[in-house]
Amino acid sequence: MLKKIALEKFGDLVAALMEKGPLYAPVKSEKAVDFREIKNPGDATLDFYNTAMSPKFMFFPQSEDIIRYKLGKDATEAEPVKIDAKPSVILGVRPCDAKSFEIMDRHFLGAGVIDPYWKDKRDKTTVIGYAFDPSARPDPADFYNTLGIGACDTAGSDIFMIRADKRLLLKGITEKGDRLLKDLTVLEDGSNADEKVFDDVSKKGGEAKTRFMKIDDKEIAGKLVQVFGSKEFWEKATAACISCGACTFVCPTCYCFDIADETLFKEGVRKRFWDACMFTDFTLEASGHNPRPRTFQRYRQKVCHKYSYHVDKYGCISCVGCGRCTRSCPVNIDIFSVVESVMKQ
Amino acid sequence: MTAMKTIEENLKKEARRLLESGEVAVVIAYGRGFDENHPMPCAITKAEETEGLVFNEYCTFNLARYLPKYPPKTRIAVALKAADSRAVVQLIQEEKVRREDLVLLGIPVTGMKDQKTGETIDNRTTCNMANPVLFDVLLGDEIHGFKGGSPYDVLEKLESMSEDERWAFWEKEFEKCIRCFACRKACPMCYCDPCFMDASRPRWADKSPTPDGHLMYHLTRFYHLAGRCVDCGECSRACPVDIPLYLFHKKVAKECEAMFKQSAGMRIEDKPAMVNYGNQDSDEMLR
Repeated sequence: MLKKIALEKFGDLVAALMEKGPLYAPVKSEKAVDFREIKNPGDATLDFYNTAMSPKFMFFPQSEDIIRYKLGKDATEAEPVKIDAKPSVILGVRPCDAKSFEIMDRHFLGAGVIDPYWKDKRDKTTVIGYAFDPSARPDPADFYNTLGIGACDTAGSDIFMIRADKRLLLKGITEKGDRLLKDLTVLEDGSNADEKVFDDVSKKGGEAKTRFMKIDDKEIAGKLVQVFGSKEFWEKATAACISCGACTFVCPTCYCFDIADETLFKEGVRKRFWDACMFTDFTLEASGHNPRPRTFQRYRQKVCHKYSYHVDKYGCISCVGCGRCTRSCPVNIDIFSVVESVMKQ
Repeated sequence: MTAMKTIEENLKKEARRLLESGEVAVVIAYGRGFDENHPMPCAITKAEETEGLVFNEYCTFNLARYLPKYPPKTRIAVALKAADSRAVVQLIQEEKVRREDLVLLGIPVTGMKDQKTGETIDNRTTCNMANPVLFDVLLGDEIHGFKGGSPYDVLEKLESMSEDERWAFWEKEFEKCIRCFACRKACPMCYCDPCFMDASRPRWADKSPTPDGHLMYHLTRFYHLAGRCVDCGECSRACPVDIPLYLFHKKVAKECEAMFKQSAGMRIEDKPAMVNYGNQDSDEMLR
C-alpha cells in the first residue's frame, strides 16, 4: 500500500499519529537531533542526518524497573512491575537503525529465551522508517552500505517513508504498517507515478556508497579469531582509547545491561540498565579478580563480540554501520578502521 | 603564529630525534585517524613511526590524560598546547608524574576547531591561552599580543540567574546525561582509581541513570576538580550529549582564583589550592 502527503502537511501527519498513541520522532535541540516523545506537532523534524542517540531506547530503555519492593521487619514485599507498554509509533528511523531492530530481535527473541520487556514494546510499536537522501553525501563516519544496508532499505520498518520532490511517500511494509496507514485519513492514495518514484529512489539507495571495502561476515569472524591473541595489534589499535562508554551507549546494537537493587530507606526498585564492556568494572568479579583489566582487552571484546561471536551465535554481524560510535568517540577511534586493519592482518 | 603544517614538520623532526637518540621511550602525540579531519592520539616508540604524526586544527585532545598510566621512570615526550601544559604542571604538583621523566613538546597555537561543530574553540569553552606554560622544546614561535578575552566572560549569563533559575538550568542539562563517563575519562585530572562512582561499598550514587545520581556524580566531580581544573574544555567536547560542563568548571575556577590568588597548573612550585593552607587564605566561606 502506497500513500502520500505534501511535505508542507508533515505537521498534519504528525498530529494524526499523535492521536494513535505516544509518538516518538526526531526533535532538534540546540546542538543535536534526537528522538523525543512529541508533545506539539511542530516539534518533529525531518531535516536531520541522523540522531545522536540510537532509537534502541524504544524497546530497550537505558533504565527499566523490574521489581518494586518494600523491606519489612520480618519479610520483604516484592511486586514485579507489570509489563504493559502503550502502543506507540516511532517516526523517522533511518534504514541502518531499523535494521538494528532485526539484529537485536535475534538476541532478545531468538536466543531460546524471550525477553518479555523487549517483546512487549517491540510488538506494540510501529516503526516508520525514513530513507537517507540517496543523492546526498553520507557522513564520513558511516559505513552501513559496506555492511550491505542500502540508504533506502526497508528491513526493520513497518512503514517506509521516502521524501521525493515536495511530498512524502509512505509504503506499508508489514501488516502492522498497512493497518496504521489505512487508519491515517490525512494521507492520500499514491498514484502509479508515485509508485515509480518510490521504486526509482529505492533503487538509487542501493547505489549510494558509504565506504568501499566489502566485509564478509564469516571471513571477518574467522579473521578475528586468528588476530585475537596478538596483544601487539590490539594495543596499537586501541592506544588512544580512554575506556569511556560513549561508543556503546550511542550504539543501536549494544545490548549489555546490568541489574541492581536501588533502595532508599525501606523502599526500593530492582532495575536493569545499560552497561558497557568498555567500563573497567564491567567484568569485575566479587573476588576482586578482573579478567579484562586492560583497555585493549575491553576494546577487543567489543570488536570481537560484534564481528565474530555474534556471527557464530546469531549468524550476522552485530553492527549496522551507522557511524555513531566513531562520531561520538572523544579520541576518534573508528571501529571500521580497526576492522579494516584486522582484515589486512 | 607558526603554520600548523610547520608545527607538524617540527613535531616529526623532534620526535624522530628523541626516539633515535634514545632520550625517550615513547612519544605521545597525534596520528592520523580515519580521515584528515579526525586525528587520533597515538603513542609511538619507533623512529620510523614519526612519519605518521600529524598536527592540524582538529588536534584538540589533551594528551596529558595519558601520562599517569605510565610507570615512573618511563621517559616520555608529549605534545602539549597551552591548556595541556597546564594539566601537566598540575599533575606534577600532585605527584602523579615526575618532571624529570618528561620531555615537553610545547605547541603555541590558537584557533583550534571543534570537530563536531567546526567552530573555533575560544575563551567560551577553554582557558584560551596561546603559549604553553612549561616546555622543553617549542614546536612553533611563541605567540605575542594574542587577546582572546577572559575565560570567564561566558559566565555572565549564569551569574545573572537567580538561584532557582540556575538550579533549573543545571537540572535540565543533567537530565541529558547518559552516564557514559566520557567526561571523567577524557579529563587529565580525573585519575582516581577507582573513581568514587565505581565504588560499590559503599555505593555513593545510583548505578542506574537517575536524576539524583546525575547530580551526585557531576557535582562531586565539579568540586573534586576545584582548583585543579585547567579549563582545557576536554570534558565538554567529549560529551556525546553536549552538556556544557565547562561552565561549572569555569565558575569553580574563578571562585578559587579569587579566594586563593592562584590558577590551576600555572607553576610547578605551587601546591594545589585545596591541599595547601596559608594564613592569608580567604575565610569568606566561614562568615
